Amino acid sequence: MPSRSLSLLLVLVLLTSAALFAQSSPPSADQGQSNQALLERIQQLETRLSEMEERQRKQDAAIAVLLSSQGTAEKTAQVSMPAAPATPATAATPPASPSGVQTAEHDHSAMHDHAEVREATIHYPSLQIRGFGDVDFSATDQKGTTSGFNLGQFVLHFASPLSAKVSYFGELSLTAEPSTYDVSVERSIIRYDYNDYFKMSFGKYHTPIGYWNDTFHHGAWLQTTISRPEMVKFGGTFTPVHFVGVLAEGSIPSGGLGLAYSAGIGNGRSSLLSKAGDSGDINDNRAWVASVFAKPSRLYGLQFGGTAYRDKLTPLPGLSVDEWISSAHLVWTKEKPEFLSEFSNVYHRDLQTLKTYNSQAFYVQLAYRLPWQENKWKPYYRFEYIHRPNTEPVWDITGTSSVLDLVGSTVGVRYDITNYAAFKGEYRNTRPGVNEPRVNGAFFQTAFTF
Amino acid sequence: MAIHSKIAGSVLVITALSLFGGQPLSAQAHDVDVAVVVQSDTPVSNLSLAEVRKIFLGDRQYWSANTPVVLLIRAPVARERDVVLKVIYQMSESQFKQYWIAKIFRAESASAPKVVYSNDMANELVTALPGAIAFIDSHDVRPGTKIVRVDGHLPGDAGYPLR
Repeated sequence: MPSRSLSLLLVLVLLTSAALFAQSSPPSADQGQSNQALLERIQQLETRLSEMEERQRKQDAAIAVLLSSQGTAEKTAQVSMPAAPATPATAATPPASPSGVQTAEHDHSAMHDHAEVREATIHYPSLQIRGFGDVDFSATDQKGTTSGFNLGQFVLHFASPLSAKVSYFGELSLTAEPSTYDVSVERSIIRYDYNDYFKMSFGKYHTPIGYWNDTFHHGAWLQTTISRPEMVKFGGTFTPVHFVGVLAEGSIPSGGLGLAYSAGIGNGRSSLLSKAGDSGDINDNRAWVASVFAKPSRLYGLQFGGTAYRDKLTPLPGLSVDEWISSAHLVWTKEKPEFLSEFSNVYHRDLQTLKTYNSQAFYVQLAYRLPWQENKWKPYYRFEYIHRPNTEPVWDITGTSSVLDLVGSTVGVRYDITNYAAFKGEYRNTRPGVNEPRVNGAFFQTAFTF
Repeated sequence: MAIHSKIAGSVLVITALSLFGGQPLSAQAHDVDVAVVVQSDTPVSNLSLAEVRKIFLGDRQYWSANTPVVLLIRAPVARERDVVLKVIYQMSESQFKQYWIAKIFRAESASAPKVVYSNDMANELVTALPGAIAFIDSHDVRPGTKIVRVDGHLPGDAGYPLR
């Protein structure tokens, strides 16, 4: 029995020695290369793991700082704790037991949650750019006009929150001219929000007179029809489209009536009546504007309000005119139906002759989003009217009338081919002046945003 | 014979579950109310439906001077989104998208609602983002958040409007 044990021990010793010898013997060239490659691979993975851990630590720290800076230190601690930086031990521990599996899953879930929080947290500045464009075709029976295509405005809108309470908005348009493109800063606004009741901004605006001018900016896709009403058309002079200055706006505590206001002071019309005084006012008199409107909560979609605007115009040396504009609007913004109506009276008083002049304009637009074919069709009709005195010191300043005594009807349809592009076709019948022959026209447009 | 009877029994059980178990479960899933959920320290506990609408239309943007409202809304196809579009916005999907493009570029709001892809994500963000408000299936609301009464009703109450 001892001899048997001894022989067994000998065999074991021999086998162990052989194994040790085999391990200590120099590897072949191929084995050496493989081992080296494996070592390098392990080193790469270790480096990568360290980098990922470091990145995770930095991201968690950044989130904690961000959230705590917003007054939520307590919450941050709660949220950050589950995703505490994975220690090498945790990361390297294989999921050998159910608790190990749970830990790994928990870490993964926490990391995922943190990624979501990171993505949802607003970073400042956070620039959003949206472009608008349109291509148009027009044909009318008005003498001296030609039919054909034209490239509409190419518009870029910019919106960028600069902090939780400060934001910037900009609008740039490029309009095709016979030999070049006219580039214009249409809006440039920096706004500080104190709360819902008081927001103050500075810059260049679309003057908040009435509804259309403050709601539909450049970018034909935003509006139902191809064109704006004559009384608020870009390049028109009936009401000042732009305003440079300071504006306060906000809600008025009014329960279900949903009142809101805006009030501003700034440069009114420049010597070119259709333009605002971007580079400075034309006189020492500032224009001011004040408006109040209501959105009753019981009638979701309804809005009505009024505006007053005052300025002193000095379009030519020796000509000073007081300007008062009063405006009212009533709209139903749901699309089944959509109803827009707006009225403005422009009062001018020549300060030399003391003569007064009143001009009125209004439009009524009705549209309906049809329920068929995925609500893509929206027929519409608009009636518009402008009345002006035969002689007017402001409208006729250049020798040719910049405001026409006009009656017009527009009937058309909008087809939204996607959420971001639409075709529009419309027929217009217009009487552009007293005793002038009526003009018929067909207009087509594809408008889009991108 | 025994095997056949077992198979037949299984088929019967599955059929019975489909007819009497599956259908009510499915119907029940569609009847679950959608809760309006905010962070626990948000200074609001009861809102009228009109106020919820005003908030989600971006017309009310602050809970208080220092706490802006952060809107969270589920991505398309989720039932919570359908309920919100139907009851709150009363808009189609495309109208909703157009509404927010116009809203932002009228300079009335700095950003559109943030899109969340699950109720878990909505819960997580409501907890983590100060001022956040979301619509979450009432069965999926996690502790640590606050369910807001709508017109005085909680999810499950008769007359609760968001279902």
